[in-house]
Amino acid sequence: MSSDAVKKRKPKVIRNEAGTPETKRGRAEGEQDVLVYNEEVELEGRDPQQDYMLYKDTCAALAKLMAEIQELKSGGAKVGSVEMEERRRQCSVHFITLKKLNRLAHMRLKKGRDQTHEAKQRVDVLHLQLQNLLYEVMHLQKEISKCLEFKSQHEEIELVSEEEFFQEAPAEISRPHVTRDDHHQLTLARLDWELEQRKRLAEQYKMSLARKEKIHKAIEQKREYLSSLQPGLQNIMQASLPVQECLSMPFEQMQKQAEVARHLPPPLYVLLVQAAAYGQACGKTHIFTLNKTLSASISGDVDEAKALSRPPEDSQDDESDSDAEEEQQNTKRRRASVGVQLDDKRKEMLRRHPLSLCVDLKCKDGSVLHLFFYYLMNLNILTVKTKVSTTTDLSGAVSAGELLNSESLLNCLYASDHGQETPNPTNRYQFDKVGITTFADYVSDLGHPYVWVQKLGGLQFSSDGAQVALSASHMERTMKLLQGRLQARLALHKQFSSLEHSIIPISGECQHLFPAKVVSGLTRWTMMSYQEFTELGFVQHVLKAGLLRETDLFFMAVVERGTARLLAAVVVNPRYPEVMPLFSLSLHWKGERSGRTEDNLRAMESEVNMFRAELQGPRPGLQLLTNQIQRLCVCLDVYLETESQVCDGSEGPKEFPREKMCLRTARGPSRLKPFKYNHPQGFFSHR
Amino acid sequence: MGPVELLHMSVFSQSFSPCGRFLAAGNNYGEIAVFSLSAALSPDASQASQKPILNFTAHDGPVFSLLSTDTHLLSAGNGEISAWSWAELIKKSTKAAWTRKPSYETSLEIPEINAMIINPKDNSLIVGGGDNNIHIMDMETGIFKSVLKGHTDYIHCLCFKEREEEILSGGEDGAVRIWGHTEILLSHFQTCSGMASQECARPQFGKWISCLATDSDWMLCGGGPSLSLWHLRSMSPTSVFPLPGCQREAVFYQDLIMSVGEGPHVSHCLHGGTVKAQIPCTPSSLNTLALNLKNTEHRVMTVGGSSHQIDVFTNFSYRAFSLSF
Repeated sequence: MSSDAVKKRKPKVIRNEAGTPETKRGRAEGEQDVLVYNEEVELEGRDPQQDYMLYKDTCAALAKLMAEIQELKSGGAKVGSVEMEERRRQCSVHFITLKKLNRLAHMRLKKGRDQTHEAKQRVDVLHLQLQNLLYEVMHLQKEISKCLEFKSQHEEIELVSEEEFFQEAPAEISRPHVTRDDHHQLTLARLDWELEQRKRLAEQYKMSLARKEKIHKAIEQKREYLSSLQPGLQNIMQASLPVQECLSMPFEQMQKQAEVARHLPPPLYVLLVQAAAYGQACGKTHIFTLNKTLSASISGDVDEAKALSRPPEDSQDDESDSDAEEEQQNTKRRRASVGVQLDDKRKEMLRRHPLSLCVDLKCKDGSVLHLFFYYLMNLNILTVKTKVSTTTDLSGAVSAGELLNSESLLNCLYASDHGQETPNPTNRYQFDKVGITTFADYVSDLGHPYVWVQKLGGLQFSSDGAQVALSASHMERTMKLLQGRLQARLALHKQFSSLEHSIIPISGECQHLFPAKVVSGLTRWTMMSYQEFTELGFVQHVLKAGLLRETDLFFMAVVERGTARLLAAVVVNPRYPEVMPLFSLSLHWKGERSGRTEDNLRAMESEVNMFRAELQGPRPGLQLLTNQIQRLCVCLDVYLETESQVCDGSEGPKEFPREKMCLRTARGPSRLKPFKYNHPQGFFSHR
Repeated sequence: MGPVELLHMSVFSQSFSPCGRFLAAGNNYGEIAVFSLSAALSPDASQASQKPILNFTAHDGPVFSLLSTDTHLLSAGNGEISAWSWAELIKKSTKAAWTRKPSYETSLEIPEINAMIINPKDNSLIVGGGDNNIHIMDMETGIFKSVLKGHTDYIHCLCFKEREEEILSGGEDGAVRIWGHTEILLSHFQTCSGMASQECARPQFGKWISCLATDSDWMLCGGGPSLSLWHLRSMSPTSVFPLPGCQREAVFYQDLIMSVGEGPHVSHCLHGGTVKAQIPCTPSSLNTLALNLKNTEHRVMTVGGSSHQIDVFTNFSYRAFSLSF
């Protein structure tokens, strides 16, 4: 190719050179050693500066020639004249010179560019090499650093310390002569030692596991054996029950009771413990008799009680499931009305604990007072319901209907303890939320929340007066009061049944209070309601003095002698016989007189109402009412017999002859009659 | 004092202190209560000022009669007379100055003393009571100097005619006896037996005389018979008062006659025999009426009877308030 390129160049060179006068060449094609005109070689010999000067000269000459031509043309010379042609030829020569110069310039430029290019290429190659090397260096450096940073897994293994290692490891492994100097060898040795130790320990572990399995099996066997014993023990327990009863050591019963007692709410538990303790301490006559004065037992649903005390997580799970179910149901069911919702809330609030306590209080004559104690969970109060069971059949006393009524039997055991309102002040707020106005509406269902019941259960609500009462300190007193109450009511019941038959039962011990002959007699004994009572005219003074309450019992007694009729309105406080019954009198005999209009009747009232020490009779004072009625009869006798005047003005025999012995029939400014009976002399005197 | 005791209490006697600022009242339990009138009548009186400042048991039996001398309060219990110094009482000391018993014949039942009056001229105390006799005691020595016998039944009331130094006594037997003495130890008497006179007698009640009052020539007496005004010199009733119940105490006041007795009212009557007014009060029947004339500031009338309350009348026409035991 190069020869072709040279050949091609040659003609070109030749053709181009045709115009220049200086070049002469022999045209010989195919000749190898022809004389080649190499302009490039010429180029190297010329000086660019000279060429530049030449260029300037040529341009100047050309300019000068052109100017001459111009002059000639303007001088009017013809085109093609010799001077002009001369000049034209010279111009063309100059043009050719310029062309060559141009060419040379271009060739110089090209050459220069080629040289630059070459140098650049050389520089580039070197640069590239440099970069390669640098890159490699960096790479190597990275590798080095990576190698340096490499953490071998062996470093994570915790090795025993060097001293220990040298102490413990056998010589083959530790090879101290080598490893002391060489760290690498030391590490290797330590690793070996570690490996061996671990293998040994793994062996031991496997052995221990095997042993443990064996022991487990042995335990299982023994357990099975024990559980097989359980039914046998049960049988023995069952068989021993009759023996227990025979010896009256009811261990099983007590255990069961204790088991159930664990689920009692705290106030009932306190009550049970105290009642049982009191019964044990004071009740029994002989330790082997079952005949206790006070016995307590638990009744109710134990499972429900257990359900109440179940931990909340279980119930929450249940709830979440049931909620999902309920939601589906609710969309179909209509929502309960507001009233029903309120009702439900009320029921929820008044809910009783499923377990209740039953305390039986026996009295000497065999009658039993059953007390059922309930605990209202949300209200945190205890309530009580009562029942009386008697040995003899109580019947026939119409007026005694109210006496043993379980609603009112325990009214006012302590003064003003009516049991109609809840003693817990926080209940007021709870009631407001669910629209309960008074607790009294629910008392017949739920029982009476007496204050003494709360005290027996150890529940203390801050109320009027400082009270440091606890269950224990109140138990004795309350039990005594309860017994006294039952006895009093039973005694009254009996007395009423004979009063209704117009017989005033006076016991032998009280005969001395009255004269032997009492002519006036009780003809009627009836019960009255509060409404009827307050409408009577002659009791208004009692009403005004505030001695009447709705919780009292009201009776009307009629005492008659001849034409005289004495009406006595009686107010009996539920706490009889601690509180004396109050009599108000009205006499129908030749007109109507009452304690308000006549001083003597007032004196009779005070004679009957006031002398408790005389009238109450032997110790429990249960004769009080009957003695009062008998005294009333005696006073009426005295009154009628000492009333000497005949009111309608006529003279004649007295209706009531004087039989009572009196010293004086009138005394003092108000001329009172002698109502006081003196025993054993048997005469009447004034107080 | 429980409410039942208060219900059955009766006030039988009253007496104002010499200064007129205190009232002593006796009841059927033998207690004497001293009330401060100045506290009760003051503008800032409260419930507490209507309670007694001092209340003590003076006697076993009811205190039927109270009398004030210049320094002492005399009280009559069951057959005995006790004297209490007013100064001590005001200071709340309840120690009796002295106690005397007239001599009684019977020992079975101790007779009560129903009425006491003072003869200022010879400083003697005249008492009449359940033993049908009038005893006269010398205040300085305390000796019972004489006994006036004559009544056949117990003596209800006594009163004294200052001018003639005569004692009038009325009793259960229905007689009013006038006891006068020209000489000290001798007693003459004139009986005034006009009780049978048809005008005043009320046989349906009885014949006893339970109240007496004199005003120089005039005498009021009443009880079973109607309250009537008698002219002493002629010994005849001039007017009979148509009051329904039996009167237990009557007094002359200015130109009125005030009387209390059965029935819950104070009767104002005129000398002519008309009942001018009947002022209602709280007790259902009244036993005693007292007028505080010694003190002009506390000019009140107080009445007591079958109640534990004593009504106070500042204006005699209506009840102002009640003191209570």
